[in-house]
Amino acid sequence: MTTAESILSGGLQGYILVALLLLLLGLAAVLCRRSILVQFMGVELMLNAANVALLAFARFRGGDVQGTVFYLFIIAVAACEAAVGLALVVGLFRHRQSTDTDRADALKL
Amino acid sequence: MFLIFALLTLTGAAALVFQRNLVVAGLCLVLSFMGVAGLFLLLANPVAAALQVIVYSGAIVVLLLFVIMLLNEHQEEPAVRARPLQRWISVLVILALGAGVLKLVAGSALLRGLDRGALPGASAAALPTAMTLGSLGDALFKDHLVAFEAAGLLMLAAMVGAISLVKRDL
Repeated sequence: MTTAESILSGGLQGYILVALLLLLLGLAAVLCRRSILVQFMGVELMLNAANVALLAFARFRGGDVQGTVFYLFIIAVAACEAAVGLALVVGLFRHRQSTDTDRADALKL
Repeated sequence: MFLIFALLTLTGAAALVFQRNLVVAGLCLVLSFMGVAGLFLLLANPVAAALQVIVYSGAIVVLLLFVIMLLNEHQEEPAVRARPLQRWISVLVILALGAGVLKLVAGSALLRGLDRGALPGASAAALPTAMTLGSLGDALFKDHLVAFEAAGLLMLAAMVGAISLVKRDL
């Protein structure tokens, strides 16, 4: 089985490739967009890319339950991160009346 | 099936990068998360797929859309000044990273070996059964009880922290 066949039929390399492209698109959202909310969505996409890779390896190494346990802890921490991150966005908006990261480039007003 | 879910995931993510309207971008994020949940189903892991739909497409995106509508920031503001250099450097970094890791993934003998071990025709004994909530709960409460309690404590701390950040006069 060649690499291309493995990717198209949903082999391990296909999942790793999807995770990689998801990571790159999340990175593009963080680096190229100015709104801090879109950048936050990009961070969530990158976190999901890591989850896809983790569960794909867990499955292709024999379906170990520990991978899913780890995934559970990852999304618990991700939910906490989302709550605190959005609270920080609201705080930033209170100070600057803007969610544009280019307008928030100084530590003090 | 794999191709459908992979395309769903990547289309949602790409639409998010190029979308101007923030609410539509949030909905693109839901599409991407649903695609990821489908990928988890194909990985014989319905527990993770359900968690993905509930926590990501449910809780986190609802919170995000709530904040977007609360701040009334539906469009990205016009740029203070154009930054062409930074933009091109970031695109170059992303492309270089993508090309490098793509080469690694395509050329990796380890990945190919793992792939062959899990194929149905190669060795039927190595093919795992679907993840069940029971086995997950066993592993969680037998091997990881301390980490489970620590996660609960972390959530409490995050909740208190988020409230104290947002509240104006505590």
